[in-house]
Amino acid sequence: MSKRMSIPEAASLINDGDMITFSGFTIWRRPMALVYELIRQRKQNLHLVEVNSGTHGDMLIGAGCVKVWESCWIGQELFGKLGGNLDRKLREGSILVEDYSHYQMLLRMMAGAQGVPYLPTWASRGTDILNPDYDMLAKAGLRDGSNPKIPRHKFAIVEDQFYEEGTLIHVPAVRPNVCIAHVQQVGEDGTVRVWGQKFADEEAIKAADKVIVIAEEVVPEEYLRREPERNLIPPYLVDVIVEQPWGAHPTGNFGCHEVDGPFMRDFYNKTRTQEGFDAWADEWVFGVPDYEAYLEKLGFNRLQKLRANSAYKYNDSAKRGTR
Amino acid sequence: MDKNYAKPGEYKVNDLLAVAAAREVRDGEVVFAGTGLPMLAILLAQKTCAPHAYCVYEAGTIDGRSVHLPASVGDARCAYQAAVASGLFDVFGQLQRGKVDLAYLGGAEIDKYGNVNTTVIGDYAHPQVRFPGSGGNPDINSMARRTVFMMVQEKRRFREQVDYLTSPGWRVKKWPGGEWVSRQEAFGKMFRGGPSAVITNMAVFRFDESTGLMYLDTVHPGHTVEDVRNNVSFDLDVSRVKGETEPPTHEELHLLYHVVDAEGIFLP
Repeated sequence: MSKRMSIPEAASLINDGDMITFSGFTIWRRPMALVYELIRQRKQNLHLVEVNSGTHGDMLIGAGCVKVWESCWIGQELFGKLGGNLDRKLREGSILVEDYSHYQMLLRMMAGAQGVPYLPTWASRGTDILNPDYDMLAKAGLRDGSNPKIPRHKFAIVEDQFYEEGTLIHVPAVRPNVCIAHVQQVGEDGTVRVWGQKFADEEAIKAADKVIVIAEEVVPEEYLRREPERNLIPPYLVDVIVEQPWGAHPTGNFGCHEVDGPFMRDFYNKTRTQEGFDAWADEWVFGVPDYEAYLEKLGFNRLQKLRANSAYKYNDSAKRGTR
Repeated sequence: MDKNYAKPGEYKVNDLLAVAAAREVRDGEVVFAGTGLPMLAILLAQKTCAPHAYCVYEAGTIDGRSVHLPASVGDARCAYQAAVASGLFDVFGQLQRGKVDLAYLGGAEIDKYGNVNTTVIGDYAHPQVRFPGSGGNPDINSMARRTVFMMVQEKRRFREQVDYLTSPGWRVKKWPGGEWVSRQEAFGKMFRGGPSAVITNMAVFRFDESTGLMYLDTVHPGHTVEDVRNNVSFDLDVSRVKGETEPPTHEELHLLYHVVDAEGIFLP
């Protein structure tokens, strides 16, 4: 049975209230085509759990799709120092934020991927991340066990039983309903190949109940199976396949294209207020019927200037700095 | 051999920061670096005082030989000629294993014990500003052997106590109780070291090993001890000032502007 779908069909599989995670790292290889469609379909009460966030998360938050955000970082890197929409929604009190550290979030995702309820770590001892007064899901009454996706405790501090090395921090597994991943190549059956840095994609994909893979290109399985050591994920872990070239824009994609910095800076500058966000979304999300129309609106020349050199795996000709 | 030092006016403050941070690297060390000035520092160190240092980027590239300066640790440029391009689990695991000697970090606020805030200004639940968040700052700062912070020198950023303790200094909260104890006590057998320098646009600070308190080490050319004191809101120990921060040499400036950041990304 074919796993192929369109972007709107794939987005329709995500329910209001779902716990969601994503491929990528900060402003790199984020599944933007599907993120735009989630906004267009006006998803509500999403619970984002992310090893780290970025423009995609800030966009969903600005659009009012997100009720809970659990992560360690949000921003637009060089192109906007804050997650401007998260900053505004948190000040308004219209979003719940649960802070973990980067490695703690990664271990939470790894625990989910490995099928264990928690993993231990030394990371981030001594900080307010462990302050029970700042356990925001507990304060909101969400750690009562009624939602099987939300653990009863933010952390446990537990004595080492094996080498008597002291107290470790146990972080609870993350088990998202859906992982949405943008990758360079996927086979017709679902074998996934990621070029360059893998970030935390393997953990995010394996932790989720359902996996939607959007790829720059769908290729014959036979092609990927000539070099199986280069593949990341076997087909049976992938539920849905979507082919969408340029589907990570404006984030960057190793071997395919650069980050569209001016686009990201424009998003950041225009969306510091809710009115600004709404106007921006009217132009770039609701003002276009689908991702093809979005790419058409961006235009060939703009995209062509972002295209990666096939030897370097990035664009080596566009002017980036002042020299 | 006499060094060919640049004079004030012949370099910018970020040049001095990058150079001072580069000089913290010892040859052969494994260095965790983030986007911006930290990248300039490790890349300059590899071309000057530490040709055999290894650079690890948080997104999962190890010992790259970038020919174009990355604009982010997730950049494809980080992977060019790298020994390994893997992912977060690899590099954070190595960090926890104890393989990272030095890391560069930043922050919005710092206190007299080197505790850093990158999370919120104001009350945590009802903040005045929400910053990007911890990222890997507290992971790196609790598990690397030495960390160097690069910060802006302002009274409101150098505080008696930070609004939120994102990243641990030399006197921290011990959980589950939250009592303030020394870093050594909080970390127990897994204590490896901690913040060793804070480099700002005015000065270099270090920490007393026994009290954990920050003290002024050197003042950058063109600034005075009084300037620094006026831009710190706690009672700063200035009894151990060694003198002026060593300025950049013309060779270091040439490397920064023509080799490390030839495109003018972080040094316009």
